[in-house]
Amino acid sequence: MAPESPAPRSSALAPSGASRPGGQEWAALAIFTAALALPFLTEDMLVSSIANQVLIGVMASLSVFIMLRMDLLSFATPAFMAIGGYTAVLLAMQGATNVLLLVAASFVVPALVAMPLGALVLRLRGTYFVLVTFVLTEILHLLLFMTPGLTGGSDGLAGFPAPTLFTMELADSRSVLVLAAAMALLGAIITVALISLCRQHFAAIEENEALAESLGLVVWRYKALGFVISAGIAGMAGFSLANMLLTVHPTSFGVQQAVDHLAFTVIGGRGSILGPVIGASTLVTASNFLGNQGQYAQGLFGLLLVIVALVARGGIVGAVAALFRRRRGR
Amino acid sequence: MHEFWSAAIIGVSLGAQYALLALGFTLIFGILGVINFAHGGFYALGGYVAYSAVSGLGLPYPLAVLAAVLVTAALGYVYELFVIERFVDDHLATMMLTLGLYLMISTGLLAVFGPQSPEFSFPVKGSYSIGALRIAKENLVVLAVCGCAIGAIYWLIYRTDLGRALRALADDRQVATTQGMRPRLLFPLAFGLATGLAGLTGALVTPILALSPSAGDPVLVTSFLTVILGGLGSIAGATIAALIVGFIEAYASVYLGGSAGALVLFIMVLVILLARPTGLFGRQIRGA
Repeated sequence: MAPESPAPRSSALAPSGASRPGGQEWAALAIFTAALALPFLTEDMLVSSIANQVLIGVMASLSVFIMLRMDLLSFATPAFMAIGGYTAVLLAMQGATNVLLLVAASFVVPALVAMPLGALVLRLRGTYFVLVTFVLTEILHLLLFMTPGLTGGSDGLAGFPAPTLFTMELADSRSVLVLAAAMALLGAIITVALISLCRQHFAAIEENEALAESLGLVVWRYKALGFVISAGIAGMAGFSLANMLLTVHPTSFGVQQAVDHLAFTVIGGRGSILGPVIGASTLVTASNFLGNQGQYAQGLFGLLLVIVALVARGGIVGAVAALFRRRRGR
Repeated sequence: MHEFWSAAIIGVSLGAQYALLALGFTLIFGILGVINFAHGGFYALGGYVAYSAVSGLGLPYPLAVLAAVLVTAALGYVYELFVIERFVDDHLATMMLTLGLYLMISTGLLAVFGPQSPEFSFPVKGSYSIGALRIAKENLVVLAVCGCAIGAIYWLIYRTDLGRALRALADDRQVATTQGMRPRLLFPLAFGLATGLAGLTGALVTPILALSPSAGDPVLVTSFLTVILGGLGSIAGATIAALIVGFIEAYASVYLGGSAGALVLFIMVLVILLARPTGLFGRQIRGA
């Protein structure tokens, strides 16, 4: 192999494999834009609490969804959520409460961490990738408990100042929800941009990575890009969670949460961006009504995971889309 | 000095329990290529079956342990036969199926038995003392039963026709099938055998540790760590790695305290996954 051979054209991050956002992606963006209006429509505490949780769940699921585009099942979402959440809270405690800065930091810091990490873990595929991300989340979870000087250890960090926009303090529950909706919209725009830009590349990696590579696709470049952006979106979800709970605590960032996000994405449908949106919305809402603190929700998630794996590989969105196709075909 | 020896005894006893769990886990991965997320669920289920048999039916403890093995093995056999079998080569689907089963088992236990730990204690009490060293009898019983079970598995896998057939399927399914091994018959058996081992461990250990619907969570993590350390699919590797994990946990809890031992283990496993995914003693069994 000649070391100086020029990279094939298709390997550049060029529009060759890109495509415009499709109907489902525009629909997802419309849903997120509409969600921005929600805080001004209702004062109900329960509704806004569920809406907050849904928006955070959707963001975390988008992070899982991006990795699934490349056939990689990641349990590392809570780890990146923790990095984003703790970063924002620590900044706010230092007096840097500008909301734009906090949002940017909660995206950028996890993304920066993901770069060297990705170089290590993205060499693994399939089962081994699942295991390594599982272990990463466990390690970060332990580290949070073991560094009380920085992260407050088992007490977590609470009582940090509210984010500010210029001179306005975003402390009331309406601003919390607006901020959550705005971050979710930002996360959705980034996700749509990424998967439209790299649609063919991701599809090639998902279908057959070795073949894609032998045809000249620089696979690691796309996998790294996906991993880094997925980490950034998870980080924003972490900040959103901290902003809703007014605290960051290690128990919010364990393997259990990774299972939930995975369930949202797969049950909603891993084939389209509407999947994580619909999955997180329905399952978070359902778990709010199942037993106190949703202790029976896990069983429902389990049952749905099994049903999806057995009879509806495309999840809710895939099943509905197939139904429509059958109707039209008739 | 007796601190050192008592930690050693705890380490061996933990190592034997972990070996039983890891052997089941690694059998399933080695033979079927499936990661069994429900392994901890079968452990917790085994504990609850034994508890119900003792407190509900008034059975003597050894029979209760046997009941736990039979129930968990039967559930594993049936679940493999009717659910996992059709998707056995699709790693994403099998993960969803086993993860889903785990969530259903732990929620089912929660719904039936409630979140509190039931009163379930080991029938053998007391301890032997050698000088200043005290050895709890319950640890010795667990160690003996685990030792026998491990011996039985080795005998089954390396000395019987069934074991030879299973090893052949693990080595190369296609060749084994053309030679007349029948995966449809043997996969459910292997799965049931492995889940029965998890149930056995649960029935033995939960009276000493604690029984709760989420008792399976740490078990799943420990099984992961052990089999990665020993090499996914490797039987000897799982046994040796289980002892290593047991000793590290026992000594770290005596000399380091807190969760330092767990962190050491996780970082070891991370390094192994990145540098040598086949584990300390493993060989390449399946493409990652």
